[in-house]
Amino acid sequence: MQRILVIDDAATVRLYHRSILEAAGYAVDEAINGVEGLEKALRAPFDLYLVDVNMPKLDGYGFLQELRKTELPQAPAIMVSTEAARSDLERAYVAGANFYLIKPVKPDALLTDVRLLLGAPRP
Amino acid sequence: MAFVKPPVAQPHRDDQCLAPRDFTDLVAELSYPNPAARRWAARDLAAYPEASLALMACLKEESHPSVREALLTSLTLIGDEVAVAGLVDCLRSEQVGLRNEAVEVMKELPEKVAPIMENLLADENPDVRIFAVNILESLRHPLVERWLIDVIEREPHVNVCGTAVDLLCEVGTPAAREALTRLEARFPDEPYIQFAAELALKRLGED
Amino acid sequence: MAEITISEEDFRKFREFFYRKTGIQFEDSKRYFVDKRLIERIERTDSECFRNYFMMLRFDTSGDELQTLVNLMTVNETYFFREEYQFQCMVNSLLGEIIRHKKDSTPIRIWSVPSSSGEEAYSIVMYLLEHWPALKEWDVEIISSDIDTSIIRQARRGRYSARSVQHLPGQLLKKYFKPIGLEYQIADELLGAVEFTRVNLMDPVDVRAYRNFDLIFCRNLLIYFDDLSRRQAAEAFYDALNPGGFVCLGHSESMSRISSLFRVRKFAEAIVHQKTREE
Repeated sequence: MQRILVIDDAATVRLYHRSILEAAGYAVDEAINGVEGLEKALRAPFDLYLVDVNMPKLDGYGFLQELRKTELPQAPAIMVSTEAARSDLERAYVAGANFYLIKPVKPDALLTDVRLLLGAPRP
Repeated sequence: MAFVKPPVAQPHRDDQCLAPRDFTDLVAELSYPNPAARRWAARDLAAYPEASLALMACLKEESHPSVREALLTSLTLIGDEVAVAGLVDCLRSEQVGLRNEAVEVMKELPEKVAPIMENLLADENPDVRIFAVNILESLRHPLVERWLIDVIEREPHVNVCGTAVDLLCEVGTPAAREALTRLEARFPDEPYIQFAAELALKRLGED
Repeated sequence: MAEITISEEDFRKFREFFYRKTGIQFEDSKRYFVDKRLIERIERTDSECFRNYFMMLRFDTSGDELQTLVNLMTVNETYFFREEYQFQCMVNSLLGEIIRHKKDSTPIRIWSVPSSSGEEAYSIVMYLLEHWPALKEWDVEIISSDIDTSIIRQARRGRYSARSVQHLPGQLLKKYFKPIGLEYQIADELLGAVEFTRVNLMDPVDVRAYRNFDLIFCRNLLIYFDDLSRRQAAEAFYDALNPGGFVCLGHSESMSRISSLFRVRKFAEAIVHQKTREE
């Protein structure tokens, strides 16, 4: 089963994303900020990262930059943000995001992106 | 070679941190080229309540992460009105990192932040309002739930509401019930709001 | 008095809060364990129900109740070779990297904090003696500190219960300890290898003297601190370390609640936090 790491400092957002992804057949783990995301990825890498931009300690950009510097397999990443300015999108892509979703996220939009990056869920 | 008992104190030879310096020396050291020197100055300034202005000014320019952390810790330890006013400024910054750092520090200063909370929650910039709600996350203050209820009752921006409902899942009491129900009705096409409000309602507990 | 119950949603709410504060995640299978301890605290604090107790916990400015809960929810025992994989990491990975970058032949410095009754520091000594051949070429200084002077006296004395030594391989117990009645006295060779000191990590004047370390063990301490104290401790460690130096935290601890001053490094045996080299 493809594993997805949801990184967001808001517990309800993590739970929301988890419920959508698990219902679609993916395995999900959570991290509260970029530092914990990196710690978890280093312990066992994921197939996809769903990353919030605004987080304490290490924000979404910082997480992706650090992740891209590691020797881990370069899994795809989707950034999630409340900010919709063009400069924010560009910054996310430069940091290594594959897609950029604007909050609040609609389940269909999230699943479309995830399926494009990971394919259908495998058992 | 083997185990040796060390002299415990091991100051760097090139390290001025052990020499006594006064406030003026320390403020001057905040702009030294060597980040280690700036870091020590930032840490030592925590002992001077009048240092918040200098620390704040430095925070906005400083790029070295280790110096920034020291600046923030010292600002939290001093935690006066000047520090808080400077942190509010940071919430408007274009730098994501600076904004998030300001939020973290403000969470630790309930007495100083409470009097300005209503203004922050009414700020014209929705990002600032989101950060204000973020501050409430760990703020230990009796009015937290009241502020959150006001947000979900009045706030037009969906993401500010979304952030507030997330916190109500933790601190909500039956006093929030009606506001949560009205919020659901206000954003019928937003699955996240529906999800979060339902969760918050489930967690309110019995009346 | 009505019986206190913890509902499914109470459990989840508490689990999220505790995770945010401490980084400890409870699986659903821990439900009974968690509920039992929560009910115990609800009774002890006369909170009457989960909701009252949770609000008190969430808004308690002293942080004392959270600390009590952390104590109840974690097993804080100290014994020889606790979390041994980190000592393996030290001899197999960390020390090699430290000496590769060392510019001179000054001693390698290791700080173990809190010392508690000395088990960790003496475990480091034994591990180096037994598993690190380069000890022949390098001097090593081991300093172990605690805030509590009575526990430091105990550490210097080096007398341990059978429980403390239960995870030690038999041949090491024989080699480095002498049974005295029901207890074990550690060998002079080990006693002489560690310097025990008193330090308060929250006191900048205290920690100022602790510098130029290559490796810090601080396991299962920060989890008991509030956010600001953790920040201060992380600052103290950063200043105490040489560039490229490492911090080993306890297995349930993460830097993610503490600081972004350190880089996360993965080694075969463990995840370790490192102070960057530039500066």
